[in-house]
Amino acid sequence: MPADTRDRNARVPRNEDARLLTGRARFVDDVRLPDMLHVAFLRSDYAHARLRGVDASAARRRPGVAAVYTAADLGDYSKPAPLLVPPPPIPGLVFHACTHLPLATDKVRHVGEPIAMVVAESRYVAEDALADIVVEAEPLEAVGDLEAALAPGAPRVHDHLESNAAAHVVQRKGDYASARTRADLVIARRLLYDRGAAAAIENRAIVAQWDAPAEELTVWDTTQAPIPIRNGLARMLGLLESQVRVVAPFVGGGFGPKIMMFYPEELLLPWAAMRLGRPLKWTEDRQENFHATTQERGQVHDAEMALTRDGRILGVRDRFLFDTGAYDPYGLTIPINTQCTLLGPYDIQHYDSEFTAVFTNRTLVSPVRGAGRQHGVFVSERLLDIAARELGLDRVEIRKRNLLGPDRFPHDHRILFQDSAPLVYDSGDYLPALEQAADMIGYDAFRRDEQPRARAAGRHVGVGIACYVEGTGIGPYEGARVTVEPGGTVRVATGVGTQGQGHYTVFAQIVAGVLDVEVTAVQVVTGDTREFQWGTGTFASRGAVVAGSACHAAALAVRDKALAVASRLLDMPADRLELAAGRVRVRGSSDAGVALGELAAEANPLRGAVRPGTEPGLEATAYFGPDRGSTASGVHAMIVEVDPETAMVDITRYVVVHDCGRMINPTIVEGQIHGGVAHGIGNAFFEQLVYDDQGQLLNASFMDYLLPTATDVPPIETAHRETPSPFNPVGLKGVGEAGCIPTGALFAQAVEDALHGFGVEITEIPLSPSRLFDLLQRGSRP
Amino acid sequence: MNLSGAFTFAGPRATVWDLLQDPEVLARSLPGTERLTRVGEDRFEGAMTVSVGPVTAARFAVTVALGDKAPPERFTMQIDGRGGVGFTRGTASIALTEPPEGGTLMDYTADVQIGGRIAAVGQRLLESVARAMMRQALDALNRELQARLDAGAGPR
Repeated sequence: MPADTRDRNARVPRNEDARLLTGRARFVDDVRLPDMLHVAFLRSDYAHARLRGVDASAARRRPGVAAVYTAADLGDYSKPAPLLVPPPPIPGLVFHACTHLPLATDKVRHVGEPIAMVVAESRYVAEDALADIVVEAEPLEAVGDLEAALAPGAPRVHDHLESNAAAHVVQRKGDYASARTRADLVIARRLLYDRGAAAAIENRAIVAQWDAPAEELTVWDTTQAPIPIRNGLARMLGLLESQVRVVAPFVGGGFGPKIMMFYPEELLLPWAAMRLGRPLKWTEDRQENFHATTQERGQVHDAEMALTRDGRILGVRDRFLFDTGAYDPYGLTIPINTQCTLLGPYDIQHYDSEFTAVFTNRTLVSPVRGAGRQHGVFVSERLLDIAARELGLDRVEIRKRNLLGPDRFPHDHRILFQDSAPLVYDSGDYLPALEQAADMIGYDAFRRDEQPRARAAGRHVGVGIACYVEGTGIGPYEGARVTVEPGGTVRVATGVGTQGQGHYTVFAQIVAGVLDVEVTAVQVVTGDTREFQWGTGTFASRGAVVAGSACHAAALAVRDKALAVASRLLDMPADRLELAAGRVRVRGSSDAGVALGELAAEANPLRGAVRPGTEPGLEATAYFGPDRGSTASGVHAMIVEVDPETAMVDITRYVVVHDCGRMINPTIVEGQIHGGVAHGIGNAFFEQLVYDDQGQLLNASFMDYLLPTATDVPPIETAHRETPSPFNPVGLKGVGEAGCIPTGALFAQAVEDALHGFGVEITEIPLSPSRLFDLLQRGSRP
Repeated sequence: MNLSGAFTFAGPRATVWDLLQDPEVLARSLPGTERLTRVGEDRFEGAMTVSVGPVTAARFAVTVALGDKAPPERFTMQIDGRGGVGFTRGTASIALTEPPEGGTLMDYTADVQIGGRIAAVGQRLLESVARAMMRQALDALNRELQARLDAGAGPR
């Protein structure tokens, strides 16, 4: 489609790509400082054990070792990490905050939990010294299964709690029990979703430097949230916030785990750098990443949907268990996302949802792309598919009958979302999206002609179509500063970190659109607290929505300043002036006018006076804080062919119809969707973190943990719909997580359709060829 | 991981029993064993080096404790190994009987838990490596048995 303007629907190339593709972008591991020492961590091999003692004396004697720290050496600094997200004020909510320590003291609670930190002249020496440390540990029975964890007499992850229940939350609307009595059909199923890794290309990394004469701490960190890291480090280390600079330079993929804070390594490197007076570096290796970087997705749902015989949903009841891992510093964001996203684009009047978060002796859980939303979609979409089958209804038709109509917005679901605000959909238009997806994949023709023909030829082909919504763009706020340099370049600084999303382009487009300059003339800097020090971070598909809206507001303020300066300079009322191609000129004239850079110089004179009520330069800072998030939506459809002999699935077509409100750059939107779909396909069929019942991860390498490869991800056909959000001035909704949210539900539906006649009902994700083979052997339909 | 099986030694039960209680013999027979020394009545300590797939030459400090001894019929072994790449813990039960066709039949069953890096990256090879080590150990023990029987028989 043609570009509307620079900042709307414009497929401009990405400003950051030249640097990224030619290797000139700086990543944390590129930071090499004089006198720098290297860090390695001794991590627990046990999932659950009592620590009786740690003897590091031999390690300390090893040549090249500068220091070894155990919990005993940390003194007052050995405190539980802060609780990052306190739970929302839901009546009756129970939540036990149990956060991790920098280094384990009395117990280790998951494989990979750090026990000691070695600082040495090189990583080689540091790793060798790890083997010198003697840990006296008494292994304990581990909690390795969600349901067993809650059984009476189960070993307890946290001794001071009565059970392994970390939280219990009930949210209800309407009266499900009475709705159920009116139902013609109740579909009840147990539905499972297991863990996967985020598997960013770049693992975590930290460099910390204490400049003693300047009394300044600088930390380079692969975090998605440099400003909260800065604020927290200042508080914990007893420094002023202005004494700490945190830089998140280019980061090779975030996907959620890098919003977790504070990781033990994040707490320890700055502390030790201040003690030792030398810069320290730690770069996580892939082995560590599998055990020490947060993961997601273990949930067990017992859900039921009550329907009328014409397929209308009367209500849904869901009881689920959520695996939070050994500690819960990220609070309840994930299960509340699950609880809210289950409602999807559907008109569900009666809803009864209850979950228990469970401590296990497994790696900590914090949001990974989708952050619990895919579980909710999996539950509602699977129940609808099964209901359609039972009622003899078409799968598209049953969805059409339940979608919220365009006259139902804003739509208040009367429950609370993860940001503690009521779950209110801002805008949406779901039916045309469903029809468009069905049309693009050729749903009717496939069902009518192609599928019977293929089946007659002995081929097993199936189609799936799944709807979802995604709560995006939540508060609290972000900010941006826009500056016109005297040379004419426009500089934008914002606090969110960038992990490849295209921030340097999207924010530039927004500002370029307001100031009418070339997108390449706008330089964006993100994730450096010295450049911008207010904000929260990159999460919840909120960068474009919240930081983008702040960029927009700051650019508007700069435009007003430019017009005011030009008005004085040209002696012309501001309302008769306009910005065009980087200059201010008389509206409608063909004058050359005055360049923005000249106006910036004019506004910063060496002599004379800056008038009262004005500020020097062409610079403005603005903030944007939405009351609540905006709700993106979409429909995915796929056609698969399954080989029942090998249980391999070939995805022959994949269609995405997506609505993220107003689009700034469709190429970037599509990139996000493609990446998300690939991530979703991995989660559906290839990737699974397999733990044994004693909490040992059994496939912690890319030999055994299978990521989808280029041959596993089909070409993705996308179409965009734009239902602007009324909750922000640009009409934006987020898109970062969308691609992976419905993929599991869609995969299950399409594969099940392909295996029609085998009696297979898919109630779990991820599948794998061998798991699907098992299901085929058993004929799993109840 | 559960390992169980049976093996027939070509020799009398009392001699097999003695071999199985002799740390020097066990050290020679168990692949990768650097040393195994008696540190108490029924307690041995030693060191082993094992390779499992991508984890090569992983060194473990090993403790073995014998229990439930009913010579020459059965005993149990508690095994505890710890090293830089993980740990192993387990219990093995060993029963010796005298089948009618002669020799000594050993039935064994072991429940072994393996953790840390060796489990995380070597998982799909662990069981086959363990079985191979067990087979090699039993063959080596049988050779030790023959040597001892030959020596006992004196020069021929």
